[in-house]
Formats: sequence, C-alpha cells, structure tokens
Amino acid sequence: MRDLIVLGGSSHPHLTKQICRNLTIDQGRVSSKKFSNGETSIEVIDSVREKDVYIVQSGCGEVNDNFIELLIMISACKIASATRVTAVLPLFPYSRQPDAPHAANLTGAPSISTKKESYTFESAPSTPRPLSRGSSYFNDSFATGANSSREGLLEKATHNSLRHPVPYTAKSLVTNSASTNITSVDVSSKSDNGYKQWVAQNGTLIANLLTTAGADRLITMDLHDPQFQGFFNIPVDNLYSRPLLKHYIKDYIPNYQDCVIVSPDSGGAKRATSIADSLGCSFALIHKERRAKVAKNPPSTAASSSSSSVNLLNSISMNTTNMVATTMLVGDVKDKVCVLIDDLVDTSYTITRAAKLLKDQGAKYVYALVTHAVFSGDAINRVLKSDIDKVITTNSVPQSEHVSIIGPDNFEVLDISRILAEAIRRIHNGESVSMLFDHGW
Amino acid sequence: MSTNSIKLLASDVHRGLADLVAKRLGLRITPSELKRDSTGEVQFSIGESVRDEDIFIICQIGSGVVNDRVIELLIMINACRTASARRITVILPNFPYARQDRKDKSRAPITAKLMADMLTTAGCNHVITMDLHASQIQGFFDVPVDNLYAEPSVVRYIKEKINYQDAIIISPDAGGAKRAAGLADRLDLNFALIHKERARANEVSRMVLVGDVSDKICIIVDDMADTCGTLAKAAEVLLDNGAKEVIAVVTHGILSGNAINNINNSKLKKVICTNTVPFEEKLQLCPKLDTIDVSAVLAESIRRLHNGESISYLFKNAPL
Repeated sequence: MRDLIVLGGSSHPHLTKQICRNLTIDQGRVSSKKFSNGETSIEVIDSVREKDVYIVQSGCGEVNDNFIELLIMISACKIASATRVTAVLPLFPYSRQPDAPHAANLTGAPSISTKKESYTFESAPSTPRPLSRGSSYFNDSFATGANSSREGLLEKATHNSLRHPVPYTAKSLVTNSASTNITSVDVSSKSDNGYKQWVAQNGTLIANLLTTAGADRLITMDLHDPQFQGFFNIPVDNLYSRPLLKHYIKDYIPNYQDCVIVSPDSGGAKRATSIADSLGCSFALIHKERRAKVAKNPPSTAASSSSSSVNLLNSISMNTTNMVATTMLVGDVKDKVCVLIDDLVDTSYTITRAAKLLKDQGAKYVYALVTHAVFSGDAINRVLKSDIDKVITTNSVPQSEHVSIIGPDNFEVLDISRILAEAIRRIHNGESVSMLFDHGW
Repeated sequence: MSTNSIKLLASDVHRGLADLVAKRLGLRITPSELKRDSTGEVQFSIGESVRDEDIFIICQIGSGVVNDRVIELLIMINACRTASARRITVILPNFPYARQDRKDKSRAPITAKLMADMLTTAGCNHVITMDLHASQIQGFFDVPVDNLYAEPSVVRYIKEKINYQDAIIISPDAGGAKRAAGLADRLDLNFALIHKERARANEVSRMVLVGDVSDKICIIVDDMADTCGTLAKAAEVLLDNGAKEVIAVVTHGILSGNAINNINNSKLKKVICTNTVPFEEKLQLCPKLDTIDVSAVLAESIRRLHNGESISYLFKNAPL
C-alpha cells in the first residue's frame, strides 16, 4: 500500500508483526534502545517523509516506559515530516480513573465499619508489583518510614493539628519541626481526616500528552470509559472486540442459546446485555455490594455542623478504602453454562469472585470472555485456581506467558490484529470504519 | 482562606534534596501519596488543599527508571493544576533527556523539546533547572525557565577543599570549554582542553590534550557524568602528560551503568558531584565520590521566585 508505514513499539512486537502481515506490508524499522541512564533512545530507520504512519504500542508491561517510548516515536515521526501519525493503542494506558471521592458519595451510603491500614483504590486491590523492577523502591520508602518514627512527640503534634480541618494559615505550615517527619503526616492525612479530595485524574493529561507529541489520530479497542474519547481534541476510533467475542460464543459454546451471559459488575452491564440481546441469550448481573454498614447520618443531611462535616470526610475516605465486600447475583444460573464478560481483567479479583459465586449458585460451567487480560501480579495463578473453567481473551497484550501457565485447553486467545489491520487500511484509504463495530473482521 | 504561600511537593522516592530544601526554607513538604497499581500505572493524591497556592514540585530524576519518574512528575503537575493551584513551578535540577536536544541524525527525535512540551501540557507555569546541557533548551519552553548555575557552589568547594593555587581547570570536551573557562576565570587559574572523538553515545574513542598540565592538579569540569568513561580516559591522558593528580567536578552525577567500577578502577583521585541527582547509595560503594550541596541555591531561588525578586544574583553567588 502506498505511503503507509506501520511501526511497532517494544510492548507487543508480535501484534505489530501480525498487523503488518494482514496488511501485506513490511514493518517499518525502528531501533529502540536505552541509554545507560535509563533514557529511551529512538531511531526511525525507514524514511517517513510524507507518509501515513501508524505506531502500535499497547499499554502493558512497563506501562510508563512504553508510553514515553510511544510519545518519542510520535514526536520523531512528526519531526521527520510524516504527513499523519496515528497511535494504535489496543489497550489504552491509564484508561481506568481512580474514583473521585465525591462521586462515590453520591452513589451510595458510605461504610464506616471496616478500617484498613493503607487504602487501596478499588479498581485495583493491592497485589505485589510485577517483579521487573529492582527492590530499591521499597527500600527507599522503608528508610524514610524508619526515620520518621524517631520523633513520636512531634508526630503527635502534627497529627492533632491535622485532624481538625483548620483554615490554612501560613503559621500552621511554617514550622521547622514538621519538616522532619513527613511520612507520618502522610499516613495520618490519608487515613484519619479524609484528605483524599485531590486525587489526580490522569485522563486528560494522557490525552494531552499524546496530542502534544503530535498524534493526529488514535485507534484503540474497548476503552474502559467511552467518555475517554471526549478528552481528546483529535479523532479517536474506538474499536470493539464484541463481534469477535460473539463469534466465539456462537461457534464454540455448545447450545449457546441456553447459556447465560453474566456481567461481573454493574459497570459492565451494558456491554454484557448488548451481547446477550444480539445472541438471544438470557442475562444475569453480579452486583458488588459496597456498603457493609449504613452510616448513621445520611450524607445529604450532614454537613450542617462542623463536627458532622468531619464525619462526612471520614466516611468518604472509608468508602474508597473499602474493597468489594459482598457480591450478589441478579438472575438465575442454576444448571446453566455461564459466560462472564468483562473488558479489562487486571488483578482478577472481580472475575474470580464472580465465578465462585456463579458456581455456588449452581452454574454448570463458567467461561470468562475478557478483552484485555492484563493479569498483573499473581492474578494468573488466582485465575488458575479459580472456578473459571475456560478463559477467552484477545492478544491486545502479550498472552503467551498466560497460555503456558493455564494451558491451551483452558485459555484461548482471539486474534485482534485483523480488526486493527482492517481499521488501519480503512482509515488510510478514507473509508468508513463503522462497519467493523458490528461485524468484526 | 487562601494565603498564596509556598507549597513544596516531592515524590516519595529520592526526596533527599527536597528535604534539604524544605529544611532550608523552614517548610514542611506537603503530604502527598504516589502509588503504583498492579499494572505499574501511577496514582497520585495530594494530602491537603493547594487551591490558590504557589506550588513548587521538586523532582530529582537520576538514572534507571527515568520514564517512570517523568510520568510521575507530569501526573503531579496535572493534579495540582486541576486542584486550582495558582502557579506551578517545577524544580528539575537535572533535566531529563537534555542530551537529545537536536536532530543529529535523520528521523531522530528531539526528545528534550518533547519533554518541554509535555511539562507545559501537564500545566507547569515555570521551570527551575540547573546547568542545562545546552542552555538553548530554555527556548524549547513556552514558559519561563530559570537555568541556575552550580558554578558558585563549585567555586566555593574548590576554594575550601582543594589546594587550588597549583591547579588547572580542564574541559573534557570542546562543548564544555565555555563552562570550564568561566570557572577558570572565577578562580584565576589556567585552562586546558581535551578534544575527544566520540564514536557512539556512551562510548569514547580517542583523546587529544590541548594545553600544558605538567606538575599541576587537574580539575576536570563537566556538566554531566554518566558512565564516567570520558572522565577515566581523560584522567589517563592527563597523567600521561605529567599531571600531579586529577580531580573531576561534575554537576549532574548520573553515574549509571558501570560508572562506579569505572571510577574505582580509574586514576581519578576524586569525583565530586552536586546533589542534583540522588546517589546516596553510590557514595558508599565508591570512596572517591564527594558531594556539593546545592539545596541552598534552589531554596533561595524558590524564595526569590515566590516573592518576585530577581534570581540573577544566584548566578554569581552561592548562598551559604
């Protein structure tokens, strides 16, 4: 194809190769190295002048490294006079946003029963980090922690001063003593007085960075939030893996009309129902019950006196502290084949719990259909031991390791390179992409 | 109630310099938390209100996980921006990707410009840095950049710790000649230059000395020491030409790769770096290393910037 060049980042070289094969073109050559201090060095070897450049990079592995590498590649192509640069991100990095505390407040009564030492963002309960990084990170943070415990008196003083939200004056901040034990202030400010209001929301930032680097267009797949498209000032083509998954259900699940499509949480209900509707299957939903205990004061009537506003702050922070407490199933799955459908599985807590619940309710067989199976940390072992009988995912992130752990009989990988390649071909030729949304390729 | 006071922010890792600056200013670093979720994505939250405050984010980027630190910094900036901070100043003593500042090959990226754009996009209003590899990088930004110099601190160190009357200032490459000549003028010393032919990045090939160094204490001055291959070779060349001893003074001691081995095995007597780059753990591995503290310069620049005073005084003088 004329003037079309596809480059690949280091996150998922196999997918790039597949896409190029489907497009019947040679992959553009890029040399990506690291300087000895850790900075990324990019050299685009093939000429890109007046070319339509597509750069494939998935948001997996070393997320930040890969993202910066993508930005540098985009920028390098732009500087080298490429006509148009399109970033192809099968799995979009930072697509999950931490829930804003005030939003959590609106949806449900916060719980005050459980209390944790350190909070976790509910989208990702704490798993051990992947072992690729050295342990110096942890050593550093422990060292500062040890330092801070020296001066217990000062620590208490700061605790007290921070517990009541006093108006900020210069006086309360400019103290030499406080500067010596920062870590303890950190801990107290998070767990006790609910200062979690200023959680960074990375969506727009990531969008702006891509635009700033020079991306003219984006192709991604099954965005976690469809609203994410709105953060960009450039066109974003969000492709769907739905047709692929539908084909799989139709072709490989025996008597698929009798199976039950299950959404493991309420957020994915829409995705699951649309598949259930088009296949004529029944549908069930697993609801994560977050409120272990209803707060004494309903949040809407609180905030009248100063003491209750403190209470409110507490309960907000607790709400985000709380992980999935109980789950309940809406729908009948007894003696049925269940198909769990989700867009992103990271720690796999949600989906393994859902599978257990389904089996407890008498489900016969549990499939898990997942678009992006990241399986970070020890997630893959959890899936292996769980009640999920078969996992079906796509190669939006490298899956060969996962296949070797779970075994090819219980782990199938669908190829998305054809959809991506067709999208690239259509975008390059200026044809409509919408046909891919419904029919796949 | 807004006070528009200074708020210091620093990431959890490598906050040695930030602590020193905070101590110097008599301030507390604003509590904040930087977390990585299981995929390696960064989550950040600030522990107190920053609305209408004057934010200073101190970020030390050394070697190793540079890209992670850059993303962390961008997220921190953006978090402050969306939390309605009045002004966000980033203190990046060692500017990342400063060496990729020009299109030296076909289709090579100008990553320093990309970094500048990214910082501005994230929402930073002002950048303070130190001894930029090329001061032209200031022009990559659309926001004001204050490029501080380590030179006054280096001058003080040399005057206090080295018997500098017998010394000669050496520039290890032609690019750093101006910096070395400036320092030589300040100390009223002679100056020599080593000309090197570089085959590839992080590799050095052949060196030629220009000037007389016999029976002198040679002080090699450079802005950056990465693998220290250059410094080790320069030391050999100088000693071959009759130098008494060789000391290296470097602003940014990145010391990546096998730099420590290179230094330990080299004929350098001492390598002195400022604390713009964290290398506490390397100090223990290498007895030849020494530190110049520049936190006072940074703290003073923060104070002056906040109060709207001139910073140019700091270009020539180092606060005690």
